[in-house]
Amino acid sequence: MPVSDAELALLAVSHDIVSIGMQADEVRRARHGTRTTFVRVAQIAADPGAPILALPAAGEMCITGTPASRAAAIERVRQVATAAGNIPVSAFSLADLEQLAVAEGIGLRVLLEDLRAAGLELIADAPIDRLRDARRSIEEVNIAGLVLARLTIHQDRSPDPLSVFKAVATLQRAVGVVRAFAPLPRAIDAARPTTGYEDVKRVALARIVADSVPSIQVDWSLYGPKLAQVALTVGADDVDRVSPEDDQTAGPRRAPLEEIRRNIRAAGLEPVERNGRFDIVRPFESPRVMSSAAGGGAAHDERAR
Amino acid sequence: MSIEQIAAKVRSGERVRAEEALDLYRHAPTPVLGRLADSVRARKHPGGIVTYIIDRNVNYTNVCVAKCNFCAFYRPVGSAEGYVLGFEELFRKIDETIAVGGVQLLLQGGHNPDLPLTWYEDLFRAIKGRYPAFKLHALSPPEVIHLSRLSQLPVADIIDRLKAAGLDSIPGGGAEILVDRVRRLLHCYGKATADEWLDVMRQAHRAGLRTTATMMYGTVETDEERLEHLLRLRALQDETGGFTAFITWSYQPSHTELGGVEATGVDYLRTLAIARIVLDNFDNLQASWVTQGGKVGQLSLAYGANDMGSVMIEENVVRAAGAAYCMDEVEIVRNIEDAGFVPMRRNMHYEQLGDPMFRQRDVPRMLELATARAAGEATIPAELRLYPARSRLLKAQRSSLESQDKT
Ligand code: SF4
Repeated sequence: MPVSDAELALLAVSHDIVSIGMQADEVRRARHGTRTTFVRVAQIAADPGAPILALPAAGEMCITGTPASRAAAIERVRQVATAAGNIPVSAFSLADLEQLAVAEGIGLRVLLEDLRAAGLELIADAPIDRLRDARRSIEEVNIAGLVLARLTIHQDRSPDPLSVFKAVATLQRAVGVVRAFAPLPRAIDAARPTTGYEDVKRVALARIVADSVPSIQVDWSLYGPKLAQVALTVGADDVDRVSPEDDQTAGPRRAPLEEIRRNIRAAGLEPVERNGRFDIVRPFESPRVMSSAAGGGAAHDERAR
Repeated sequence: MSIEQIAAKVRSGERVRAEEALDLYRHAPTPVLGRLADSVRARKHPGGIVTYIIDRNVNYTNVCVAKCNFCAFYRPVGSAEGYVLGFEELFRKIDETIAVGGVQLLLQGGHNPDLPLTWYEDLFRAIKGRYPAFKLHALSPPEVIHLSRLSQLPVADIIDRLKAAGLDSIPGGGAEILVDRVRRLLHCYGKATADEWLDVMRQAHRAGLRTTATMMYGTVETDEERLEHLLRLRALQDETGGFTAFITWSYQPSHTELGGVEATGVDYLRTLAIARIVLDNFDNLQASWVTQGGKVGQLSLAYGANDMGSVMIEENVVRAAGAAYCMDEVEIVRNIEDAGFVPMRRNMHYEQLGDPMFRQRDVPRMLELATARAAGEATIPAELRLYPARSRLLKAQRSSLESQDKT
């Protein structure tokens, strides 16, 4: 659905978030229908000495944090890849790897190839507002035989996010390998958190502007179930970083897996579990008719949304 | 009737019937519900003003004999964690409230058998004596019924006496779902049946008090029962016109006997929207940011809400059940303006009091809501001794203290 620059500028300043959301939802449904993917991600510290908890339910083992050196990065990837078995391993921010390559006096591609040889499949994230040369670095990821798990925004929260979304669209036209884009900033300012309107508008505009990126993603652990669920109704189609620790101590209905499925269904959508490779690991299961006692309320009719 | 036909009815300002409301609630896409609710809000509040109140939400006691199974707040008589706030503690809280521009105390608590009607009367008189202009929005219908049973006086007399002592208005708590099947399952039928809850409000309205109405959804009720609740409120509002506002929130399950899960954010927005559509004779709908968080709280403004509720300053009940969100006046105003509305302070009667307080004078930022008492604080207010004990436990404690005094 092509939208002119003038229309986009109007949407960006509008307070009519319901209409913006509807427009984005149309784009999302044209591409994905009601299918909504989610991935359970195990997060592992970058320090080679830190323990690695084996979580077989994870669809992605993600090494987080900044590696101290090239050798430490390679060593950590090797350790995690060994423990991961068939679970895809992702690691590091591409922006940190750009800096590490400079600090080590090597090319980024050399570093990426080293990591791949150690067992890495995916670069965990590429924050577009922190990358020195987004296009070139993402191409290097591709050439090194790695996959970019998600394009992200680190901190940008300008009231007009259009320019960064247009940059994402341009980037995707050039590289064509961005599988998922998370438009809500990763760094949250506790003293001045983003508002619900800001978040909804960002997700919706990202879907409309970056229409060549397959998935618009929302982070479950960072933004919480309520905002993440609303995001799914205004353009997002993928939920990132659901906990793989299926702790049922608070009862099976409150365990993360059931929670994410319940929230997706209550938004009138179909939950589909994927892994870090975007392979479906658990196909859509026919939803049980939810009773209000399960907090479903008027969520019986999935077509209603 | 199709969804589009029902929607056209709402747009033209016609009243929806029960089955039409159910159809909308179940089958209308969420954005359609949102737009309809927003059109009703805009019709009632064409100036784009969104109000809020600076008041403090104080729970004077957590001791309760009602034992609702969805409640994580109460403690039984004799519990080491039970508390009653003293008059001096309450005065301190009022001083703090006035310091940040507050105009009212929202005062509610458990059904404590050892607090007789005279305790409330003395408290209200003492507050009004010290702070004549300060408002008391106090005692939800089940608390009024509890006092009626405790003192064996009719509800109307209790309301008259409390009003004479300084009560300004009654909060709509304890409504849960106004359907007795649900109330039995929630163990709250005993504290007030649906008819009893509504009758307290009827009597209060007749006595010239304004009240709010609430709905807690997401426990054991059906969609039909949620709508029955709304329709019963609408009928009473037709009769008395005494409700100033409606507030709905989702059941908070943590640490409760009932357990279960919380209804989702989208369910909240749909429920708020249908309430705005059905309650066509209510002027004001509040956003429940305290249960939904600031983000969904703000999104409520697109789904029918015209009021951001209270800055609260203090909160104990929802926190006990697992939710701990905080928004001070600065945050509330930022959220209202960011959504394209004009913020305005109000009182309980929804009279506009003026622009944000923090723009007029320095007000300390509040990044966390206070609690009734600091952790470990367990003093028993001295004045409690002046009131006769009703529970067996307190009677026994008192007589043992008296015999110690004698020896
Ligand atoms: S909800 Fe109120 S009446 Fe019921 S147990 Fe809790 S404090 Fe008591």
